[in-house]
Amino acid sequence: MTILLEMKEIHKVYPNGTAANRGIDLTVREGEIHALVGENGAGKSTLMKILFGLEAPTSGTIAYRGSPLKLQGPRDAIRQGMGMVHQHFMLAPSLTVAENIVLGDELRRGPLSMFRDQLKEQDEIRKLIETYGLKVDPLEKVEHIPVGQKQRVEILKVLYRGAKLIILDEPTAVLTPQETDELFHSIKALIGQGHTIIFITHKLREVMEISDRVTVLRAGKTIATLETKNTNQEEISRLMVGRDVLFSVEKRPAEPKDTVLSVRRLNAVNEKGAPVLRDVSLEIRQGEILGIAGVEGNGQTELVEVLTGLHPASSGEALYFGENLIGKSVAEIRAMKVGHVPEDRQTSGACLTSSIAENLILDHYRNPEFTWGPFIHKKKMKEFAKVMMQLFDVRAASEEAMAGSLSGGNLQKVVIARELSKNPKLLIASQPTRGVDIGAIEFIHREIVKRRDGGAAVLLVSAELSEVMSLSDRIAVIYNGEIVAVLDNDESLTEQEIGYYMLGVKKQQKEVAAP
Amino acid sequence: MKTSKTLYLDITGIVLAALIALVCGFAVILVTSSDPLAAIKSLLVDPLSNWFNVGTILNKAVPLIFTGLALSVAFQSGVFSMGAEGQLYVGGFLGSLIAISLPGLSPWIHLPLIFVCAMIGGALFGAIPGYLKAYLNANEIVTTLMLNFVATLGTSYFVNNVFKDPSSGGYARMEFFEKDLLLGKIIPGFSAHAGILIAILAVVVVHLLMYKTKLGYELRLVGKNSQFAAYGGIKTKRVIIYSIMIGGALAGLAGIVEILGVHGTYKDNFSNGLGFDGIIIALLARNNPIGVLVAALFYAYIQVGAQTMQMGSDMPRELAVIIQVMLVLLVSAQAIFTYLKQRYAKDQKAVK
Repeated sequence: MTILLEMKEIHKVYPNGTAANRGIDLTVREGEIHALVGENGAGKSTLMKILFGLEAPTSGTIAYRGSPLKLQGPRDAIRQGMGMVHQHFMLAPSLTVAENIVLGDELRRGPLSMFRDQLKEQDEIRKLIETYGLKVDPLEKVEHIPVGQKQRVEILKVLYRGAKLIILDEPTAVLTPQETDELFHSIKALIGQGHTIIFITHKLREVMEISDRVTVLRAGKTIATLETKNTNQEEISRLMVGRDVLFSVEKRPAEPKDTVLSVRRLNAVNEKGAPVLRDVSLEIRQGEILGIAGVEGNGQTELVEVLTGLHPASSGEALYFGENLIGKSVAEIRAMKVGHVPEDRQTSGACLTSSIAENLILDHYRNPEFTWGPFIHKKKMKEFAKVMMQLFDVRAASEEAMAGSLSGGNLQKVVIARELSKNPKLLIASQPTRGVDIGAIEFIHREIVKRRDGGAAVLLVSAELSEVMSLSDRIAVIYNGEIVAVLDNDESLTEQEIGYYMLGVKKQQKEVAAP
Repeated sequence: MKTSKTLYLDITGIVLAALIALVCGFAVILVTSSDPLAAIKSLLVDPLSNWFNVGTILNKAVPLIFTGLALSVAFQSGVFSMGAEGQLYVGGFLGSLIAISLPGLSPWIHLPLIFVCAMIGGALFGAIPGYLKAYLNANEIVTTLMLNFVATLGTSYFVNNVFKDPSSGGYARMEFFEKDLLLGKIIPGFSAHAGILIAILAVVVVHLLMYKTKLGYELRLVGKNSQFAAYGGIKTKRVIIYSIMIGGALAGLAGIVEILGVHGTYKDNFSNGLGFDGIIIALLARNNPIGVLVAALFYAYIQVGAQTMQMGSDMPRELAVIIQVMLVLLVSAQAIFTYLKQRYAKDQKAVK
């Protein structure tokens, strides 16, 4: 097999001295699916930025099709036949699929190329869709198509520009199991047509399933490049983290006791007045983790916001130890020992321009223990922050460091530390490990299970089905604002089964909610 | 709290802007003056050459410190109030009414009462755009600018009609206050009045308020990330109203201190833009109370320098306007700072 791309001894040192890449080798053969794995901060993104011409390497060589490659910017990379599908879609929602695909590369016709040749564009797009089996309606507006199809649009975008080497950055992060299967079909079709794929991921199961070879990065260095068929998940994860990793969360069977939260026929609407929660009824007891599974945007966000006082409910009740949370303010609910890990730590969960200490104190700054009249007791606040940072293994220069300077994992630990520091009786954790490295995921999962064993009730919302399945004692599936199933999480439960509920294909016969 | 590195970046940027503005002023002098060196000397050195001029600088800085503080509190809370001018008039007017309407009261009671009423006047007038923003989502830039007209023209009407001193002739002013109500000189013979002491006290109080208290924590958090504040249970709407009311109280103080220290009574149009200068001061200071003190002194120094230059050379005092405008341009060119910071932040977070 010919070698398509060879990156050798890539170093990247940023002006402030941070070494993101410290000698990375990456060799990609033509026509293979090459997985690139590594924890957050391992240098994956920087490496891909260098390959795509967004950053210049400090030293090292890149050879593409046998000749050295010097890139001035992404345009050069595209001209060379590379394409990148970003993790966060870069699409204009109000434009059609076809318009999004051609954006910036429109076909022209007429005098002075004044007019767009939309028919010809659509023709070409249809051809692409057929060749690669990436089914999507070119005339539909992007805002109306589901996530899986949006991703196809992104792939079509790079194919339209003639990409032969396609970089997929964590493509399955937002997909259901079924959509992931379809994506893998498309990837295989791409390989069949002579394309080459670099597949960035942190899900090792997918690496095993689809890749031909895998390169593992750790701390800015290439640790190994392996033939996938000669390795296994345990080995890869050991190489990634540098030690053995527990795959499944170790936990004892739940010993549920009294009911902590009883949600009854909860309804809510969004700003536009459209219903987002429909008659949601749930029960969570002390010492159990109830996981909410569902494709993102099916009402999980609103459910959490209603329970924490951030979003109004239009009807229904949420009894917390018999007291209705609906109608209470955020501060009142917080004071009742309800912990809330919000889904978006960048905007809701933390203030990036404040210090770590100021982030940690958010739940306690009114607490007489930390105040002196109208003043905040700065010394106690800092001591508290130090203790929390130690307990939760937050790695930062000091408690005075800006929250924005922390890595995703450390920032999330700050959020978790704050919400657990008051010993919540109910912990509502939304996407607690999103975008967090394996070490931190382990840590956060252990903390959550520890709280459960300590008698707290946990409501876990995650887009990561494997997370819901490995942590939860029971799983409720939400689809279109409705709880379509509540399942016991035992051996017999499969991802496929939950997937059907998530997509709304199946629905549990609704039992009449207890009065 | 800022890390020392970003603070350092901020200060360098601002000092650089001030220097460039000064250099622009020098350039104009070089081109137009017959004796540029003398002009530059009288601009930079004369303001500090005698105690009278130094006192004038302090007196000019006093209202700027108050309005700068007023706006820095609002800005830090994410409220882009332009209303210090109006709040200053309303506060000054209310304080003055108390000053003339309770003759014979002991100054020990009377003076604090005047101050409190001036603060209340400014705060209440600030509460209007605060409510409009918090509960009706009205853009505070528009409402405060419009309400400035209400305040200036409204007070102007009253001082021209109802409360005009009959003996004032063509001047629209109230009757002069009793002498023992006025702010005296700090040191006899030195032109600076006691307002500077009150202003420095205000700097200390605002510093403590913003960085040491629960309310300050809430104010800054709402300004930095209101979503996070709301998530933490802070009532963001209420905090927005508080911030603009605190700003209003400080603006009201600016008005009454100026009246008690300089004018001796309420005069029509006495402010003439102090509230707007405060915006520049707050921008220059990057909303830091101690920065406000430094910026206001610098600003006053340039103004006095322009006067001494007009007397000591062939350059007109309008040169100060050029320097001020350049300052505004350079400092409000936030893009430069954001760019510097982003570069710094990018370098920091590069490992991903």
